Order: sequence, then C-alpha cells, then structure tokens
Amino acid sequence: MNNPPSRKPGNSNPEQQQFLSLFLRSEREIFRYVAALVPNLSEVDDIVQQTAITLWEKFDAYDSNQPFTPWACRFALNKTRQWMERRKRWMALLENGLAEELAQRREELQPVWETRLRSLEGCLAQLPDESRALIENYYFKRDGVEPLASQAGRSVGAIYKMLQRIRQSLQECIQKTGNQKGVVS
Amino acid sequence: MHPENRQPKGGGFVTFPSPEFDQVVAAICHGTVSDKEAGAMNLLLRSNAAARDEYLFRLELHARLASDPDLFSVPDEGDKGTPQLSHEKTSGKRVLVAGLLAVAACFAIATLGLWWPPSSGPEEAPQAGSPPEMTSKAVAMLNQVYEAEWSARGHPSVGGPLEPGWLHLKSGLAEIVFYSGARIVIQGPTDVELISQNQASCPRGQLLAEVPPQARGFRVDTPRVGLTDHGTSFGLIVTENQSEVHVFDGMVSLDQKGGGSPILLEEGEGILLEGKKLPRAIPASQTVFTSLFYLESAAAIAEAESFERSRMASRALNRDPSLLVHLDFEGVGASEWRLPTGGYSITDESEASIIGCEWTTGRWREKRALAFQGVSDRVRLAVPGAFESVTLAAWVRIQGLDRRINSLFMSDGFDVGTLHWSIRSDGVLGLTAIGRDPGDYQILTSPPVIKLDRFGRWLHLAVVLDGGTGRVLHYVDGQSVSEKTLRIEGPFRIAAAELGNWNPRGFSGNDPFHIRNFSGAMDEFLLYSRALNSDEIEKLHSAGNPGSTFPVSEKISKK
Repeated sequence: MNNPPSRKPGNSNPEQQQFLSLFLRSEREIFRYVAALVPNLSEVDDIVQQTAITLWEKFDAYDSNQPFTPWACRFALNKTRQWMERRKRWMALLENGLAEELAQRREELQPVWETRLRSLEGCLAQLPDESRALIENYYFKRDGVEPLASQAGRSVGAIYKMLQRIRQSLQECIQKTGNQKGVVS
Repeated sequence: MHPENRQPKGGGFVTFPSPEFDQVVAAICHGTVSDKEAGAMNLLLRSNAAARDEYLFRLELHARLASDPDLFSVPDEGDKGTPQLSHEKTSGKRVLVAGLLAVAACFAIATLGLWWPPSSGPEEAPQAGSPPEMTSKAVAMLNQVYEAEWSARGHPSVGGPLEPGWLHLKSGLAEIVFYSGARIVIQGPTDVELISQNQASCPRGQLLAEVPPQARGFRVDTPRVGLTDHGTSFGLIVTENQSEVHVFDGMVSLDQKGGGSPILLEEGEGILLEGKKLPRAIPASQTVFTSLFYLESAAAIAEAESFERSRMASRALNRDPSLLVHLDFEGVGASEWRLPTGGYSITDESEASIIGCEWTTGRWREKRALAFQGVSDRVRLAVPGAFESVTLAAWVRIQGLDRRINSLFMSDGFDVGTLHWSIRSDGVLGLTAIGRDPGDYQILTSPPVIKLDRFGRWLHLAVVLDGGTGRVLHYVDGQSVSEKTLRIEGPFRIAAAELGNWNPRGFSGNDPFHIRNFSGAMDEFLLYSRALNSDEIEKLHSAGNPGSTFPVSEKISKK
C-alpha cells in the first residue's frame, strides 16, 4: 500500500523549505503573469494564493532541473482560467483565445520592457508629492479606493481618474527616459 | 456611477488610440469594467496588434507598481536590501503569499484560513476573515486512567490537554503528564491544582511523582509544605492535618509553610508533618503507593477487557437488519485492499476497497484502524437503495482539519438525494443533502464543535437524518450537539461513496476539483437505513468508548 508523501501542514521540512525558496523567488513574476489577464489587484492576490496551494500539492511532480517560474505559470494560467470562467466580465474580456494570446505576447515583449521599466523608480520619484502618495497608498499599502476617496475628500470616480492620469504620466516619463537613453547608446 | 463606467462611445466598439481606450484599460485595471466594455476591448485586442501591445504594457506597469515593494522603499529606512521582508512593511491590509509563507514558516496559518479553494460546490460558501493563530493554555495532558471517577464539575478525557485549574478525582487512578516532562499519578480521592507546566498543588490526596532531569525543579505545594524536586521520584500523602513525603529516588527539598529551615530529603528518606508537631523523619515506604506504581499494568489489563467487551457489543450490532454497512477494519491482512462490509442486507456489493491509506493502531492497542493522510487516501464502497432515513456513525481520530471541507463520508458528485458528511475547517460538522432541482441543496450544520482539544483522540461522531420527522441531528461522543429541520425531500441515497475523501464525479472531464481528504484515522463505521434515537447513539458511544472501564451493561442501565 503506497502512500503519497504526507503533506500535513505545520511540520517544516526540507521539501517545504525548497518549495518556499523557489516560490518566493517566482512570486512577483507569477503575480504579473496573472495580472496581465485579470488585473484587478485583490483578485490577483486570490488567484496567486490558490496557485500557491496547487503548486505545493503538485510539488512532487516538479523536476528541479527545469526552471520553476514557467512551471508555476502553467498552473497560474489554469487557475486564472477557472477564475475568469466564473466571472462574466473577465470572460467577456478574455474569451475567444485572447487569454492565451496575451500570455504568449507578453512573454515576447518582456525583454524589451525590462530595459524600459528600469526608469520606473526614477519616474516615481519625480511625481508630485500628492500623486506619489496616492500611488503608494493604492499599490503598496493596498488601501481601498473608498477610504482613499474619503481621506482626500473626493469622489471614488475622481480617485480612479487620478490613478489613471498618474499611470499615464509615469508611462510618458518612462518613454521619454527610454528615448534619451536610446540616443546615448 | 464612476466616470469610467460610462459606455464607450460608438456602442460597444473601442478604437485605438482614443480616450475611450485609455478609459477602458483603466477600468480593467481597477476591476470596474462593465461586461459590454470588456467585450468591446476583447474585439479590439484580437484585431489590433498595436492596441494589444500597448494594453499589455499598461497592465505590466500596473502590475509592477503592485508587486515591486522596492519601488517604494524609503532610502533612509535602512532595510532596503531585503526585498522579501519589505512586504511586511505594508499596512497589513494585504498579505502577500510570500510574506505569509515567510512569516508563517509553515503552512499552518495558511491552511487555516487564507487558502481555501475557490467556491463552486455547495459546501464552499466563503467564510469571512481568517482565524487568528491558535493558542492554548494547556500545561499538561491526561495520559491514562484506571477506573477513574471524577467529580461532577469536570470530566477530563484521556489523551486530552489540561489547562491550569483543579482536578477532583473521586476514586480510581489517573496519570497526568506535565509538558515539562514531570508525571504524577494520583489516587482518588485527590484534589490537584495544575498551576504551570512544572508546578501543581495538592491540598488533599495521594500522589506519586516522577521527575525526569529535564523537569528538574518541578514543584508541588501542600498546605503545610512546598516540595521542589531535583530529578527524582517521590510520593506524597496529604490529609487535613498531616503531610507525608516519601523519597524513592534522587533528592527533594522541602520548605515549610509556617517558617522553619528548608529540609533536604534523599533517597529512602521520608518525613511526617503532623499538626503543630515538629517534622518527624520516617523511612520511605513504597507499600502505600503500590497501586500507583502499578497503574500501567492495571490500565493495560482494563484496556484488554474493555476491548473484548466492545468487540462483543460491536458484533451484536450486526443482528440489526437496518445496519447496511458495518466496517470494523478487523480481520483483514495488511496488504489486503478489500474490506468486508459486515452489514446485514447488502449482498452483491458487500465489499469496500481501500485506496492508499495505512494501517495504524485503533481505540485499543490491539484494535486496528485505517489512517487517512495523503490526498489520494480513501475507502470506496457502494450502497444501493433509497431510504427515508439514514444514520451514519464512526469512530475517528482527527489529525487536523487541513481542508476547507474534510470528508468523513461522501457520496460521489452531487446527485439527487445523495449525502455528504463532513467536518469544515472551523470544526463545524455538516451533512449536505442534495435536492431534486439543480442547485438545490441544504447543509445541516452543527456549531463549531471539533476544536483543537478534540484532535488526536478517539471521538465518536454520528449524524441522524430522520426523514419521518424532518430532522437532522449531529452527535459527538454520544451527545447531541445540534438539531436542524430538514427542507430537502427524500428518498435519500448513498450509491457510490467514499470514506475519508470525495470523488467529484459528475464534474466535467478532467477539470481540477476540490480536495476534501480527511486527515486522521477511523476504526469503525456504521450506516443504518433508519434514524437511530439518542439512546441508541449514546449506547453506540458507550459500548465502544475506550475510556469506559466499567461494564458496558452497567453504563447503559444508568441511562
């Protein structure tokens, strides 16, 4: 009677340690991979957590000679698909093969982005204080839009609009910096 | 209405580049996009490569801002070099998986609350919030007993944790093991107060202590004297006006409560403190503590007797024609995967098959049980027929409630009239009855009764579905813990089903499914095609209770 290795929680063992270290190194990439399909942040968190469970449960099948991130992203894609299939708006957005197409195109574009996005930190620093604070509260502290709106004495719609504008100016800054660098090199 | 929720101009079309495109991409990032806008964006992105690349870049920027805490690290905070830790700087509203794993360093917390699988099945309704980390005040455990009778105020269970407080043993013997490693055997009538992992007080009774080196410093207080043990074995007899201390091994120091200098007792020495008299030296005598020394063997004999009685009672159950399935996990070879079901009326499919699982020790040392650990472990069986009422009962030892839903016994899939008996991760017992219409079901739950203190011990669980009176009752250790009104109409079926797991057959193809494997052991399972009454459930419990040392018939006649 063969048993699969016990996967009881609570007892930290070398296998868990190995999983943790691999997962921690890949987590941001998995997050971004999922966010390219379902970008709403709280939903991305949920999908990544569910992916983590599955990865741990399937960790036996992981071949340590292969890179972890692509292996993990396959499960993330599966989880994202299940997620969107139960939610009409994401289904409407991603149906007819667009999900797979986006995931694939993203992979192709990544090397180009890596260079461009290096200036993101610098561009963030150039933002006016109020804008920078809003971005930090929304993305880093993960404050909800409602509390941010009531703090700022503005409407929820206005906060969304501000976030959109700030991202736009960040993107312009990145583009500009990229162009300057392009001239230099 | 959010400004960005306005329909894009052009009735369901988005062009690129355009302000509409900017606005819909933003709404997608914020999760506020409408179905119609989403559909329009789908059309655009599938047909316009430039739009698709621009879209992907905007989403990437959005995702980077959300996933790269280094972007926000304040230069003079000094902890910039540790990206993983910087997750913890968040306000705590959000727990990144990385932070969660790193901080928890194990999966306990995650499994408790945050990692529940997505909802889809009836039992999967979400629960709010994540429970805090579990705590315990326990300082000791009740290791074994022999003919123990406790005062009405409390009845500790063998194998169960003991928190600081009083134990009143009226008669019999009980062994208490402190978490420090010190162990005491008490003989009733004895009152003991557990104070900490290495301290107790005993104002009355008879006590034998064994203190291993790691518990050195173990202290017992009596009204007249405080004993501090230095890695030894000693006996104590305390009555209203005298205390006797006998040291059998090692060394004990005594400090007298009414003043006087500390006394050091060595192996073979004893002391008698009586009234206001001066302490008197006596030789240590094991004779008065004989029964305490022999608790172990007495308990073993009692256990063998208890097992034999229970085995007879269990066999007698088979005479009941409504007992359809009776698994006692006995009489099967270790490598055998077929289990005789032992019930009365199933003829054709009277076998259950074991998948995975390991054999382990049951309620008694000689009794066997099946351990469920891995996600594949299960026992499959088929019960034909349709019934107005059903009773399920099992002896289980729960290791942990690892899954959101932990199966005790579940019919495959979600077929009409079938039943799912399970324990939710928060300790709620549930019986799900599937109704006739798609999506119609009822989950009949108990309060959260399976708590940590019930883990690791043999429990008798039962659920009675009474189609006649329309009631469902859950029982723990022979006592009813809930009674609910049944809304779903019978007849009820079991059909193909599993112990300790769930087969989601009926879900399409090879899609991933919810994992509901039980973590623990089971050493008896009964399925009746009728509703047992509360006396009968109590009888099942007491007849099979490994803790009951007096004759079963006596206990039943007490009811």
